[in-house]
Amino acid sequence: MDEILLSHLPVSEILRYLNCSSDDQKMRILAKSCAEELCKTARPRTLRHTFPIALEDNSVIIGKNALLLPGQDLMHVLKGCTKAVLFCATLGTSVDLLIRREQLCDMTRSVVLDSCASTAIEIVCDQVEKAVQEEYPESYLSARYSPGYGDLPVSVQKDFLALLDAPRKIGLCATDTNILTPRKSVTAVIGLSDQPLKKIKKNCATCLIRERCAFRKKEEHCGLSQTD
Amino acid sequence: MDFHKLIERDFVLLDGAMGTMLQQKGMAPGTIPETLNITHPDWIRDIHRQYIDAGADIIYSNTFGANRKKLADTPYTVSELIESAVALGKSAAKGTDTLVALDIGPVGQLLEPNGSLRFEEAYNIFAEMIDAGVRAGADLIVLETMTDLYEMRAALLAAKERSTLPVVCTMTFEENGRTFIGTSIESMAISLSALGADAVGINCSLGPAEIAELIPKLLEYLPVLAVAKPNAGLPIPESGDYSIGPEEFAIQMQRIAASGVKLLGGCCGTTPDYIRAIRNAVNGITFTRTAPLKDFRVCSATKVVDANRVRVIGERINPTGKKRFKEALLHHDIDYILKQGLEQCRAGADILDVNVGHPEIDEPAMMVTVIKALQSVVEAPLQIDSSDKKTIEAALRVCNGKPIVNSANGEDEVLDSVLPLVKKYGAAVVGLTLDRSGIKKSAEERFLIAEKIVKRALSYGIPKEDICIDCLTLTASAEQEAAMETIRAVSMVKKRLGVKTVLGVSNISFGLPNRALLNRTFLTLAIGAGLDLPIMNPNNDDMMGAIRAYALLSCQDLHADAYVQAYSNAEAAPIPVAQSNKMTLFEAVKNGLKDEAAKIAAFLLESCEPMEVINTMLIPPLDEAGVLFEKGKLFLPQLIQCATAAQAAFDVIKTKIAASGGASVSRGKIILATVKGDIHDIGKNIVKVLLENYGFTVIDLGKDVDPEHIVDTALRLSVPLVGLSALMTTTLKSMADTIALLHERNVPCKVLCGGAVLTPEYARQIGADFYAKDAKESVDIAKQVFGVS
Repeated sequence: MDEILLSHLPVSEILRYLNCSSDDQKMRILAKSCAEELCKTARPRTLRHTFPIALEDNSVIIGKNALLLPGQDLMHVLKGCTKAVLFCATLGTSVDLLIRREQLCDMTRSVVLDSCASTAIEIVCDQVEKAVQEEYPESYLSARYSPGYGDLPVSVQKDFLALLDAPRKIGLCATDTNILTPRKSVTAVIGLSDQPLKKIKKNCATCLIRERCAFRKKEEHCGLSQTD
Repeated sequence: MDFHKLIERDFVLLDGAMGTMLQQKGMAPGTIPETLNITHPDWIRDIHRQYIDAGADIIYSNTFGANRKKLADTPYTVSELIESAVALGKSAAKGTDTLVALDIGPVGQLLEPNGSLRFEEAYNIFAEMIDAGVRAGADLIVLETMTDLYEMRAALLAAKERSTLPVVCTMTFEENGRTFIGTSIESMAISLSALGADAVGINCSLGPAEIAELIPKLLEYLPVLAVAKPNAGLPIPESGDYSIGPEEFAIQMQRIAASGVKLLGGCCGTTPDYIRAIRNAVNGITFTRTAPLKDFRVCSATKVVDANRVRVIGERINPTGKKRFKEALLHHDIDYILKQGLEQCRAGADILDVNVGHPEIDEPAMMVTVIKALQSVVEAPLQIDSSDKKTIEAALRVCNGKPIVNSANGEDEVLDSVLPLVKKYGAAVVGLTLDRSGIKKSAEERFLIAEKIVKRALSYGIPKEDICIDCLTLTASAEQEAAMETIRAVSMVKKRLGVKTVLGVSNISFGLPNRALLNRTFLTLAIGAGLDLPIMNPNNDDMMGAIRAYALLSCQDLHADAYVQAYSNAEAAPIPVAQSNKMTLFEAVKNGLKDEAAKIAAFLLESCEPMEVINTMLIPPLDEAGVLFEKGKLFLPQLIQCATAAQAAFDVIKTKIAASGGASVSRGKIILATVKGDIHDIGKNIVKVLLENYGFTVIDLGKDVDPEHIVDTALRLSVPLVGLSALMTTTLKSMADTIALLHERNVPCKVLCGGAVLTPEYARQIGADFYAKDAKESVDIAKQVFGVS
């Protein structure tokens, strides 16, 4: 478990999640106050483990048959990698409680807190990625890839978490319908390669919500995709 | 040998890790360990033997994760794996005194409200395991590595109801003394021992040095035996190993043993060498433990409330005399009830009384709903307030922590039906000093009833510290001389019976002017006479002030810390001037100022009709905000701010209408639900706020809602519009199923769908009548369906 501290959340990022203009002073003040409360409340916990991987016909095999991650898209991302880090991260149930409670008291605040939490879990993931790079300074890292992206189904969540012993070690579980609980949590794979990797970004062309994406309408992007 | 005989020894040794040993034997990553009971029985038997040889008095069978959820993808059944595991344990222990425990770990999914696993389902999962373990002849049941007190409660309840075996409960904590879910050591100790666990403690989590730091708190609150089963130190991230060896482990365990922990063992990373080392380390030590104090203590999963000073029981969750509350009960408006709870906690209530009795509702079902919802947002322990035995039992089953039952009285039938429930579920109880003949006049007569209640409760095995007596407040306007009799009775009960006293205070002033003055004076007298737990409205500053002042004067509030904190800024703060005449309701709503909106609405209602306020002053600014939102000039949080302000005004209007008995202002009923399997509800809740603003009555069925429940509600309440939300591609199927069922059952309603992954095409395809891209559009659709502008 890496030691993760959340001390600051970028207000512009929080407002971007809300599809809000970052010039609105009132919203900036609200976002800042929510960000502080979120940082105080969250108890980020992460887990990671490095496995040898093998790319087969239509799936990635993690470890010695410990886990099968099906689909072409992840294979594409991990092309050229011999190992991969499987990681998971959560902000803990305290954040869910905070948002639940705030929905009763102040709906606006709860929506902003929810956005803060989304920002925070991304920051936590960035820190995990940084720790991975520090552990493997010689390796090249692939993009982070999560169950639910492209053709990697969310139905792998349960086995993914079990392989990391996540329910016991950090209290991160999945429901029968493969929703991660606590709510603000992430599972992801990062490939490790000895050779520079061709950067494959997730792009709008293959995105599920292409037609309805608010960012795309404004000719912006969601941050995960750099190209269209 | 049996467990009760075994614990006569100074120390009882448990085994060490199973998983670590299986890995050493070559278990492949990703294997479900319990399947090895069938595929590699020799491994399991050998590990048990090694632990028995090392000196373990109790071995844990390899059944930790043998539940139906985790075994779903294996070819094995729960009973198959459990029966084989217990048999392996027994064959390894043959010819020794070693006991074999049925070992049960967490289900592997989070329970409501953190996840979607229902308490009742968790109970059934554990019951299946326990039935199998009992059949297989386990000597005791171990419930371990839990992080959620609610899940532990489900398991312990199943163990107590389905077997007569001893039960050992251990949970997993972080260094701050809390589990991942927030359960505290104190709450665990209090509630599990009350529910009948034979031993309670800590396993896994940390190394013995860190756990040793948590032991004093465990012992302070635990009236039964204590357990410690730590990991072999802290994990080393690089290697995945644990940090300390058997010798160092044993030194720390010796320290833990000497402090008064009788059951000792090891968790992750420990091997037979560690158990052998503990055996050697405790050899020759005599077990001693300071008995914990016997005090009144109730708790939720996260908060313990004692009665070492006056504690306030909030009375507001109660429909008696409150029309708006009754309306909320009838319309299943749970959020209104939750707000009452949150508001009281913020005002300083320590415990919340929960009464949902109303002739037109199913009281047990409503009680269960409200208790589950309350404990998902408040930390305060609860007081179950009902005279219906069924309701009390339904509430006791699902109430987390240790609640109070309010109330029993001096009648034999009542005592003999309520007290066994109180004992079984390990609650505290309030006894009212009345019986069949009514309320007695004199303090002496009430004392006699109190004495009878205390004796009877003790005879049922309820500890004295869990008994509270309510000497009853009568209305001073009707029975003036009774007031001081009540005060005398409180004093007698407190002094002579030595139990805690409870009193509903506010009733004293009914029908008299300046109620606040009478309430405060009576409260002060009662506290002076020994009242511990007033049931009152914590939003009343005068009464809360009297309690704070008493705490200071009686040295309960040492150094006057709480008093100073409450009042040091009071005089400096300027009294806010109501600006009702300066700002219009239109402006307040448009600027999202909810306190202002409420105040102005109240002011306007003095001269305008409610419908006029709604139509001419509330709706127009909302419409304007909606238009700006559509144009992208206003963003979601700001739209919600306007809506929240309008809602505050609406609440004032609703309360006024309810109080005057007028017809409801509803423009129509709409069901909202997040579909089965999906637990995203913030979007749905935003839609709800907006719809309510436009005068629609929203029946919010929550998240993860069964299609049947939606259909039944739509039929029962004749609801013309059903709104469904789903946020995952995988749960869109549930949305389709729900719509199919609505059609199949010919429910005369329109269906509105929304959610991030939904498209208008898909909505059409699954038979929805409408697709809404956001909350604003939902309102437009609702207006269209109900033909309002």
